[in-house]
Amino acid sequence: MDLIQTLLDGLMVGGLYATVAIGVTLVFGIMGILNFAHGQMVMLGAYTAFFVVSAGFGFWPALVIAMFAMGTLGLLLERIVFRYTLTDHMQGLTASLGVIMVIEHLAAAAFTPDPRNFEPPLQGSFQVAGLTLSSQRMLVLALVVVLVVACYLFLQKTRIGKAIRAMGQNRTGAALVGIQTSQVTAVVFVLGSAMAGAAGVLYGSLFAITPYMAAGPLMKGFILTVLGGLGSVPGAVVAGFLLGIAESLGSRYLSASFRDGYGFILLIIALLYFPRGLFGQRGKVRV
Amino acid sequence: MKPTPLSRAARSAVLAIAGLVLAASSQAQALKLGMVNSLTGPHASFDLPASEGVLMAVDEINKRGGITVKGKKHTFTVVSEDAQSKPEFAVSGAQRLLRDDDIRVIFGILTSGPGMAAATAISKTDVLYVGGFTLLDTLLGKPGGELMIRTLNNDATVAKSFVPASVKELGVKKVGIMLPNEDVSRSIVAVYKPLLESNGVQVPIVEYFQPDTQDYAPVLRKFQNQGLDGMLTGTNDAMVEAILRQVTELGGLPTKFMYRGGSGAPALKYAKAVEGFTWQILSRDIDNTSDPKVKAWVERYKAYTKKDVSPNTYWALTFYDTVFMVAKAMEEVGSTTDTKAIAAKVKGMQYEGVRTMRFDKDGRAQSDIDIGMLKGGKVTSVRASAQ
Repeated sequence: MDLIQTLLDGLMVGGLYATVAIGVTLVFGIMGILNFAHGQMVMLGAYTAFFVVSAGFGFWPALVIAMFAMGTLGLLLERIVFRYTLTDHMQGLTASLGVIMVIEHLAAAAFTPDPRNFEPPLQGSFQVAGLTLSSQRMLVLALVVVLVVACYLFLQKTRIGKAIRAMGQNRTGAALVGIQTSQVTAVVFVLGSAMAGAAGVLYGSLFAITPYMAAGPLMKGFILTVLGGLGSVPGAVVAGFLLGIAESLGSRYLSASFRDGYGFILLIIALLYFPRGLFGQRGKVRV
Repeated sequence: MKPTPLSRAARSAVLAIAGLVLAASSQAQALKLGMVNSLTGPHASFDLPASEGVLMAVDEINKRGGITVKGKKHTFTVVSEDAQSKPEFAVSGAQRLLRDDDIRVIFGILTSGPGMAAATAISKTDVLYVGGFTLLDTLLGKPGGELMIRTLNNDATVAKSFVPASVKELGVKKVGIMLPNEDVSRSIVAVYKPLLESNGVQVPIVEYFQPDTQDYAPVLRKFQNQGLDGMLTGTNDAMVEAILRQVTELGGLPTKFMYRGGSGAPALKYAKAVEGFTWQILSRDIDNTSDPKVKAWVERYKAYTKKDVSPNTYWALTFYDTVFMVAKAMEEVGSTTDTKAIAAKVKGMQYEGVRTMRFDKDGRAQSDIDIGMLKGGKVTSVRASAQ
């Protein structure tokens, strides 16, 4: 029973990591930019939810508003900053580091570093088959699954999703067959940022919100992007769940002092056997 | 005989000089006290009220006419430096104070990062330093620490008051300890675990977690189904609030807590879900006191600072009484500059101020503290003697 509870804890937190990693891996797959500012979207999404819930609108409107707001911010960043760095990945990476500094310090100045949290829609725990499970954590797990499946279906079934995948495989080839690459790039930023916004809301429903909260999810997001295979959405999701489970089992049955270390052990072992990541196939198939 | 203009002028001059001499002798001489505190930055929530305590005490002493040392009146002025919550600014601030030969006593700093930096600079001089931060303890009683005083009780002293009072009030019999994996946590366990056991409480589980942990579920699972009725945790408000939040989410965990920390804020939000929560008020409970001395002090604080009390106001009492002790020691020693004699006098003194203050021979505070308590959704406090 204890093992199942711990596995569920791991799946929940791993799902959060995966939600962040999807945005990172999409942007990397399409643009080749490791967008460090992605973590700030998580943080701003969490603050958006905090203010919306504090204003009395509740969790569900907060989730929608945060996704919309972060999607819009992602679009702005793409139009103002990243579309001009497409030809130089190092410039894009440097610009994203600059964006981190600006957003983080603005957030610290505006919101203060004091930790905040908001009332989650569900509280307490429930018993099922001898398991004691947290209601909100189970809701977060369910929402993560919905978001990941929705994102996957969007990429697989829609026209724009197919265009994104085509660009992930070969940007020049996609342009040659008539795909509007600049529009698709914008959609990727919107999608990735909206997912980060959603992850922020879900984080905020469980953990403290601070201007500096982005570092953890972002670091995990990058581990997963590499572990899953650069640019692979299914890889990022599977890696997210694996990382969450590794951390939970390690913290529960070994030492909680080494929590972040388990992810790196997993990364090192996986890369020894799968040098291109779990779903990276010869460096060609992405997204 | 009619006075000549010359003799009139001479008489006026003599009178004027005599008047000046009399005025100078009756006017109190101002003594400079140094103060270095983090008035800005993340540590300002501690140090800003602490600095108000020093300024308030000085203001009250001056309004009484100052101190009398060997028949001579002295008032105080405070020269303040902002450590900005950073060690480098704490050092430069302390050095600026040390360059002023008139400053013989320096007060300030409640946090160890900037505190150690400033104290290390001051330790090389013959200036008396009164600080409050935890690591100051490591300097006391050692060469260079002879002229240092820590005006907050150390962990061992606090624990002697806190543990029996908490065990009694919460009625716990089996407690788990959950702390971040830091040096201070090891020393907390070394002090608190034997004390809990000597108070009849079993401690079957001690767990350390990664200090920047956000998801406490895996480590909290270790405490489930252990038959525990309480937990001892720390070490800061944000961390403990997150732990409490996740305890109430996960279920199957004890809901009586002893917090090795100085605020009830982490538990207030979960007052309905938490059976009991105790914390350490290292000076006096400002919000829920029946002590007339504290009530009167609060009124004076409001009048002096022109603001209401906040959860951090009690830090103002850290240095407040100690300023009076130093002033009294100067009077009794008969010197404002002999810092060795002043330090020795302060260490040998028991002072009944707002707090009952005394120090051991090394300068460690042995003062009574208040224990904050949240029980049944109601916040109260009890006084715990240092004995």
